[in-house]
Amino acid sequence: MEFKDYYQTLGAAREATADEIKKAFRRLARKYHPDVSKEPNAEARMKEVNEAYAVLSDPEKRAAYDQLGRDYQAGQEFRPPPNWDAGFEFSGRDFGGGADFSDFFAELFGRGRAGGQGGRFDARGEDHHARILIRLEDAYRGASRVITLRVPMIDEQGHVAMKDHNLNVRIPKGVREGQVLRLAGQGSPGIGEGKAGDLFLEIHFEPHPRFRVEGSDVYSTLRVAPWEAALGAKVKASLPVGAVEVSVPEGSQNGRKLRLKGRGIPSAPPGDLYLVLEIVLPSATSAKARELYEAMARELAFDPRRGE
Amino acid sequence: MTTDELKAMLIDETLFRLDELAATCTVTREWVIEHVRAGVLLERAGADPLGWTFTSHDMLRAKQLYSLELQFDANPELAGLVVDLTEELERLRARLKREGLALD
Repeated sequence: MEFKDYYQTLGAAREATADEIKKAFRRLARKYHPDVSKEPNAEARMKEVNEAYAVLSDPEKRAAYDQLGRDYQAGQEFRPPPNWDAGFEFSGRDFGGGADFSDFFAELFGRGRAGGQGGRFDARGEDHHARILIRLEDAYRGASRVITLRVPMIDEQGHVAMKDHNLNVRIPKGVREGQVLRLAGQGSPGIGEGKAGDLFLEIHFEPHPRFRVEGSDVYSTLRVAPWEAALGAKVKASLPVGAVEVSVPEGSQNGRKLRLKGRGIPSAPPGDLYLVLEIVLPSATSAKARELYEAMARELAFDPRRGE
Repeated sequence: MTTDELKAMLIDETLFRLDELAATCTVTREWVIEHVRAGVLLERAGADPLGWTFTSHDMLRAKQLYSLELQFDANPELAGLVVDLTEELERLRARLKREGLALD
């Protein structure tokens, strides 16, 4: 395991005051905020910053880390000496970031080592939160997915390490972007008689090459020929699941939206599917095509800029 | 090791009660009540907190509010403003995507 230099992560000096640590953290929390940051790897950097702050903002953890870290450089191979944390008492409450924190953090400050000497008590296990990416088709049909989570596990010696934990999850049909699924009892184990926490999965869709999603409505572009738009036509349109024949009404213009009621995501109530018409012009490269365009130009009194 | 298939429940079908929301967001129920009363959480709330129900969206919003308050010592109104702006940003980004336009 590599040693992590939390001071370097926050860009703070070892002798920085609590207030300076806080300021350094806030500056970086703003810089790497995942919703607005343009920095590459903003999310990964934010996790490192959160982890560093969880240690350096807690006086007990910081003192223990300082004592341990005096002789280490960032990236150096690291094994904590036995009983390195004797004499320190961690509250353990900052482990809420659980799955987001590194092996290094888990080894030093994992819950198995926190406090420990107190009397027996019962507490419900922590809930875990994660995001999952699903395909739009999964929301139409429902799907089985294996989800791998990194979770802190305590071994027989009481050490904590991050382990992969695979869960086979049935995703119900009709889920929308941003909705949250609950898997009861799949969070952290409870302490004593306490119940296990739950796992919450926030749904996000993978980008789809043909369909765009907004809430439970789904949008797609339907390419039509000029005569199909002008004269009306029945054309085949593929949907995320299956295909339908749709009537393009006579006199349709570019950008017209055809609504297929109830063909969006099958949530309750189901969304609609919109086909946005895109009129595609045949190229005028052949003599026949040129002749037809010239005939239209000659015989139709058509000025697309009339009234401008 | 993979478990047997687990059934996932959609929160918006079961909804959260006050205590469940507080527990999963690692806040106190007083924190939730304060934020509902400040108008930054739960759009339509009755007088009795025990009657409140929360959706997926409320849960994600509560977590964001709490994290902003923790990181920046923001008060509930300021955190609420930031979350409103973030949601507006997401809505506009989704519209760009719907129209097939690039973000930048």
